[in-house]
Amino acid sequence: MLDASISRHRPLALLAGLILSQVLLLAFQIKRDHDVRLIRYWTVEALMPFERGGTWSFSKVGDIWDGYIGLRGTRAENASLHARVDQLQILNRQLGSEAAEAQRLSALLGFRETHVEAPMLAAQVIGASSDASSNTLFVNRGQRDRVRPNMPVITPEGIVGKIVEVFPGTAQVLLINDRDSGVGALLEDSRTHGVVKGSGDPEPRLDYVVNDEKVHAGELILTSGEDRIFPKGLLIGSVSSANPGNPFQAIRVRTAARLDRLEDVLILLSQQELVPKKTAESGGAKENQSNSQGIVHPVTPPPAAERTLKNPVPSNAVKPAAPSGEQTASPAPPQAAAASHN
Amino acid sequence: MEYTLNSGAQAPSSIEVHKYYGGTVVLAVFLALVFQGVFHKFGHWSELVDLPLLVTIYFGVSRRNPVSGMFLGAAVGILQDALSHDNPIGLYGIAKTLVGYLASSVGARIDTEHPASRFALIFLFFHFHQVVFAISERVLLNHPAPFFTMPLLRDSLVTAAVGVLIFAGLDRLRRSS
Repeated sequence: MLDASISRHRPLALLAGLILSQVLLLAFQIKRDHDVRLIRYWTVEALMPFERGGTWSFSKVGDIWDGYIGLRGTRAENASLHARVDQLQILNRQLGSEAAEAQRLSALLGFRETHVEAPMLAAQVIGASSDASSNTLFVNRGQRDRVRPNMPVITPEGIVGKIVEVFPGTAQVLLINDRDSGVGALLEDSRTHGVVKGSGDPEPRLDYVVNDEKVHAGELILTSGEDRIFPKGLLIGSVSSANPGNPFQAIRVRTAARLDRLEDVLILLSQQELVPKKTAESGGAKENQSNSQGIVHPVTPPPAAERTLKNPVPSNAVKPAAPSGEQTASPAPPQAAAASHN
Repeated sequence: MEYTLNSGAQAPSSIEVHKYYGGTVVLAVFLALVFQGVFHKFGHWSELVDLPLLVTIYFGVSRRNPVSGMFLGAAVGILQDALSHDNPIGLYGIAKTLVGYLASSVGARIDTEHPASRFALIFLFFHFHQVVFAISERVLLNHPAPFFTMPLLRDSLVTAAVGVLIFAGLDRLRRSS
């Protein structure tokens, strides 16, 4: 039966073979586009799909291997890397915080080094008052550190407040924008005296400045020393706005120290006036320029508008240094109520 | 020897298988190719008759063996391609291979002795040959060869008429059984 089937289909097979051989013969002779023989064209066209399929298959197998089988340890590695990222983020935050702290401490140290003669103590703000109407802070220095009430608290930018309560290891600081605070002050340009009083707002007021005095926005306000708390010449802030009032001008003060972002402060252990080293060395020349009120003007005072509140206390706007340990004993002026407030 | 209608398989039949004197097929093919070339030299009218095609059909139908028919067609076609100046070898070969195979198959099924049936066979195979030739040209050479035109119809009629005469002449070369 098989022989009969083969015998029956033999002529057809021969026909197909004969036709195919002639087609191949033609394909060897015929050249298509780009002078490519038809046999080559056909061969490439016939084989390329299989080659593409093979490449695709190998690629897929590789993908499967790389994407699944090769990723056996990826979950654990991913968890490990996540943990590592978390650790690094924490470390990064710590380093950022430490860098910021280092910057603050560097500023404090720089300030401290320029006032080596004045005993001062670095302190860290550890808390604030829970009473919204009370602007007070707690620092990590207390009786054990020789901290006493009414000691000034400052930063290199400007004054902060004064110590009001002292505990063994902590102390409470009354900020200058508290309602109960009052600081003897004077305007740098006009030398007009007044009292910076807290209002409960972020910006305290400068009281007791008569309407005749010309006060301009941006003018610096310094401590006058009349309150017997703050040494004379420390920067309080600048005039934010000044408007005529009855009987005195309504002057708002933009504090130099960022009272809402305090972290490190300096506690002055005495009321000794702060005289930077450089100023002290050349103080004789400046003393000659003292005015009738005993305030030393800068030798070459920069325009007030050019100064920024970031600048430290104007070093050459203070009196010459008093003898070490000596308290400023000038009587409180009757026009300033700072002493009574403090 | 007798053949069935199916290609190549033997079966009882009343259709006679003719045999020829030795060298008849070779001589006929040779003369067909020579005369086709000679006629072509003398004018365009040689295209009216396809002598190699007539030889392929005649011996395919007469010998009624599809295998020998297809080989005869392939040989005639390849020689015709070889004699042409621009045809790739195999173009006529494919067409005449199929014609030889079909002619042998048809010759085993129907009576091809009658002039009318011969005329019809030649006419049909002429157009079948043209269709296969055109397909090969279109597919392989990318040439827009026509399947059917009026000149081709005219040529097929002339070839069929001439073929009937030539077939009668070739009948005389049969070896008496």
